[in-house]
Amino acid sequence: MARLTRQMRQGGGPFAPSVSKPSAFQQYKTLLAKDLRQEFRTREMLTSMGIYALLVIIVYGAALALTANGLDIMRMGGGLLWVLIVFTSLLGLGRSFAHEKEQGCMEGIMLVPLDRSVIFLAKATANILFLLAVEIIAVPLFYFFFMSGEPVAPTFPAIVAPLLLGTVGMAGIGTMLSTITMNTRAKDVMLAVLFIPLIYPLLYACVTATTVAITGTEFWIDFFVMPLVLACGYDVVMLLVCWVLYDFVVSA
Amino acid sequence: MSKGKARVPEAGQWPDRLAIPALAAGTVLTSAAFLLAFLYAAPVNGAALDAPELVGGVMVTHQQLISQKIFYFHMPVAIVSFAALAFAAYYGIRYLSTREARFDTCSRVAMEISLLFVVFTMVTGDLWTRFEWGVWWTWEPRLTTYLILMLIVIAYFVMRNAVDDPERRAVFASVISIIALVDVPICFMITRLIPSSVHPVITREGGMAPDMALTVVVALVGMMLVAFGLYRLRFREARLEERVQALKEQLDG
Repeated sequence: MARLTRQMRQGGGPFAPSVSKPSAFQQYKTLLAKDLRQEFRTREMLTSMGIYALLVIIVYGAALALTANGLDIMRMGGGLLWVLIVFTSLLGLGRSFAHEKEQGCMEGIMLVPLDRSVIFLAKATANILFLLAVEIIAVPLFYFFFMSGEPVAPTFPAIVAPLLLGTVGMAGIGTMLSTITMNTRAKDVMLAVLFIPLIYPLLYACVTATTVAITGTEFWIDFFVMPLVLACGYDVVMLLVCWVLYDFVVSA
Repeated sequence: MSKGKARVPEAGQWPDRLAIPALAAGTVLTSAAFLLAFLYAAPVNGAALDAPELVGGVMVTHQQLISQKIFYFHMPVAIVSFAALAFAAYYGIRYLSTREARFDTCSRVAMEISLLFVVFTMVTGDLWTRFEWGVWWTWEPRLTTYLILMLIVIAYFVMRNAVDDPERRAVFASVISIIALVDVPICFMITRLIPSSVHPVITREGGMAPDMALTVVVALVGMMLVAFGLYRLRFREARLEERVQALKEQLDG
């Protein structure tokens, strides 16, 4: 009898099939797997972002053609690398909700009784993974084209830390903003107009840390840790704000 | 959520009767601060001179910085812009929790006031940059963070124009106004975090002399009153516009 009342309280009669509600983590995994599977089948984002990154590098080649020899490329490298990452991620983030919208996938997701912040986390994770994949291609290419002529500082591998922190923050803020801009006119312009000012503090900190790691001067660690702490703080604050507000944005 | 219906701000109530006096008082106080800055507050010492000189009957050993007078307007204007942004974010939160369109109007009007004061801050700051540092622009941390604050406020209005559905526009605008507030503490703290910054941290440098503090307070109160008056007048205008729109729809339908 007790079992029966418990079942009834859970919403099913005694003969209703027992349906257990999947946990938030399972929902997260399913949504993330959906994004990744779609990408593996179409390879739309990775190819477009990869080719775009290569094209930006080629444009750098033209821009620096007459100055590269006389220029301290190691000091400029960090900044140029981040310009590449910012514009490539703008391209990817703009696309990340486009096919959800085109194929009506978003309506399907919204019908599922799940916590909306799970959608945010899944989408942000997918964007982080795509961005990291592009960076894994773009950073060696950048090194190959511009830095291979110079001796490398032993601190060079430390650029992984700012790259990771910057990618996490940019993907988080970008996921939120691309959800907003998917419903606006002139989507791509709107995304750039909102995205670049909002990631600016993060960008500033990451460029500083990357440049310090690439040049690897004396006492570099003092100048390396401070921007990283700032970037980390900005990431945490922004991700929390986006996570809280995402429910409103996606339901609108 | 709130019990019953949330109290919504409406135009034409007692704060509106204060709007015109507040605007007048603010104008008077700001003008008074202008006079105080030049006539009352002591000039600030700049670089040391080679030998003491007699200027206007007073022996001076340092260059007297006349351009420093901009400080008495620059800092209060910047603080008022932060306050207006805080109000915009507050009304944004109220909108998200009540879904009352009025709060969105309030948030938008506060954001307009904040844009006005952000532009004033940039103009006064730029005068200082040009005459004291000899350049129109420099990528100094606070200038940079304040510039991006301005860009976020501009992006807010660009975004509003790009969404047609009013409810959706209100949600997005509220969210952006809350996110914009995150940049305010960054902009405020940046001179403390990066000490190489050329903006002074006044408390670190021993506070202000009483004559400077008085001038700043008068200017700050005056500009707060001006902002309040402008906000109420603009809010009344926005409300009248909304009512005319509603009447038009009623007549058409």
